[in-house]
Amino acid sequence: MAESVSARSTGAAPTGRVGSRLTLHQRRVVWAWGFLALPILFYGWIRFYPTLYAFWLSFTDWDLMRPAQFIGLENYQRLFADPVFLKVFGNTFEYLLIGMPISLVLSFVIAYYLDRVRVLHGFIRALYFLPFLTTAAALAWVWRWFYQPVPVGVINGLLSHLHIPAQPFLRTPAQALPAITVTGIWAGLGFQIIIFMAGLRAIPATYYEAARIDGLGEWAILRKITLPLLRPTTIFLVVFSSIGFLRIFDSVFNMTHNDPGGPLNSTKPLVLLIYQTAFSSYDMGYAAAQTVVLFVILLVISLLQLFLLRDR
Amino acid sequence: MATISLEKLTKSFGSNTVVHGIDLDIADGEFVVLVGPSGCGKSTTLRMIAGLEDISAGAVRIGGEIVNDREPKQRNIAMVFQNYAIYPHLTVAQNIGFGLYTARLDKAEKQKRIEAAARTLDLEELLKRRPSQLSGGQRQRVAIGRAMVRDPVAFLFDEPLSNLDAQLRGQMRVEIKRLHQRLKSTIVYVTHDQVEAMTMADRIVVMRDGYILQVGTPTEIYESPADVFTARFIGSPAMNMLKATGSDGGLAVAGAASPVAARQAARGQMLVGVRAHDLVAGAAPQEGGLTLNGVVNTIEPLGAETLVHLTVGDTEVTATAPGKSALAVGQTISASAAPGSLYLFDAQSEKSLGRA
Repeated sequence: MAESVSARSTGAAPTGRVGSRLTLHQRRVVWAWGFLALPILFYGWIRFYPTLYAFWLSFTDWDLMRPAQFIGLENYQRLFADPVFLKVFGNTFEYLLIGMPISLVLSFVIAYYLDRVRVLHGFIRALYFLPFLTTAAALAWVWRWFYQPVPVGVINGLLSHLHIPAQPFLRTPAQALPAITVTGIWAGLGFQIIIFMAGLRAIPATYYEAARIDGLGEWAILRKITLPLLRPTTIFLVVFSSIGFLRIFDSVFNMTHNDPGGPLNSTKPLVLLIYQTAFSSYDMGYAAAQTVVLFVILLVISLLQLFLLRDR
Repeated sequence: MATISLEKLTKSFGSNTVVHGIDLDIADGEFVVLVGPSGCGKSTTLRMIAGLEDISAGAVRIGGEIVNDREPKQRNIAMVFQNYAIYPHLTVAQNIGFGLYTARLDKAEKQKRIEAAARTLDLEELLKRRPSQLSGGQRQRVAIGRAMVRDPVAFLFDEPLSNLDAQLRGQMRVEIKRLHQRLKSTIVYVTHDQVEAMTMADRIVVMRDGYILQVGTPTEIYESPADVFTARFIGSPAMNMLKATGSDGGLAVAGAASPVAARQAARGQMLVGVRAHDLVAGAAPQEGGLTLNGVVNTIEPLGAETLVHLTVGDTEVTATAPGKSALAVGQTISASAAPGSLYLFDAQSEKSLGRA
């Protein structure tokens, strides 16, 4: 009895450690915030602060030389009257609308059949994944070389073998953007295949066996079982790939190196325009306004994903 | 409804044979349970009947016709899986209706069948729910409903109750048995649980390592097991096995106080089996019966009775005592079994030599 009393009094004494005066719950809270503090400070400083600062800059005429002056919505008015911006805005969505569906369908088909391949499965999967590991700039330069006229370009070499006239590819506004999109699709394919295969593997085999006993054909199983059960995977990849194509930059910059975004702005995406406005023209306020537009588009797509993925 | 026959049915994966040419005839409307430890080939056999697994050799006949090369659908059987295999993205009604996917019926007729199945299985209130909102037992009923709507010639059950908790399992056991009595359909049911086999089957098929060891009614299997494995596998707790030597003076059982009366044929090395329920702790020894003296090492009270684990010489023996017995660990007691309650097996072949 005497012992327990003395133990209690030591615990309450002012000389006791700080931790011992807190309840178990309080101690857990302190630990949790302790661990959370570092990333919060880090993200706050390098992510949230610059983002908010960009919002502010978009309402100014900052050009690195003079202090920023508030000019209201002038940058945005200029933006939507600028034919180059509208062209670039269209280009960006063209990358998205060509690249995203094709890359998704292609990666799903490859994953669907690769899942059934037993021979050299790992090797084939590694081959598809390889482009994802390669530097984007290196990829772009290899593809740029592919698209060259004969005798350098292999694609035109192949076409001439088949007695098809040589194509200009990157040299004409009509073909340049699709040609660059192909590179983008190819670069992202490996990742999407891996994700799709993981999704396919997660569907229990008995679902398919039960369907076979119920008499469903291959196509009906795909439509009624595989695709609905793969929905979360598909939505994730739609968003992931959409964001990728909306932010396309390095392949364009490297493949049209002599005139980035050319010919005639036909391949210029939003990010490249922002880069040029900011770091070639030093029109920081205007570049910030363009960035805000891109930010809003990406935000809407991400929110759409959350909406579609919500638990019903 | 139809008969199912297996003729020299064999399954090999490469050089590894998992089902060794088994023969079995299942009558129309019969409830047959394939039981055995995991890896005994019971599930593979069921999957060959269903058409989910290729047949390496032999034949499966359904309704007299060989169906080896028919697609699962053409065999017109229904199967219920251990993990239910009901689709999370569909409602209960849609899941049950999946069984009618290829049926050439109009919408109203399909709806009528779905409702009829739901009524039979007490699922009417749940038709609009999704599987995630159902309990394990309800999910299993949905799976059975999907099997039922199609009016198949036979139902195949692949360990359907293994994912349920003990209480629900007991309940579903009764429900499936009632369903069989009502539908009078042919059922092949696979389980590793001997209680399910004993309680539900018209006939039990005991399998081990890809062979059928014994086929018989639950009573036949329990009373006349063909070998040591079946004897120990069926019945709980497992049958006690004691070494014994047969001579003119009777059976000298290891650890027994006196020889046991046995038929003239019982000679040489053998194993004597006695069920825990026949071996009663503290009962008066009977002339010609088996009496063992041992030290109590564990007591498991079950309420109605108590299981008493005894150390007899160098073997462990399980005996029973009445529900309220005042036994203590470390106590030396004697346990007796009446004459005629013993099972005799050959020590070498482990085959049955009859009762004593």
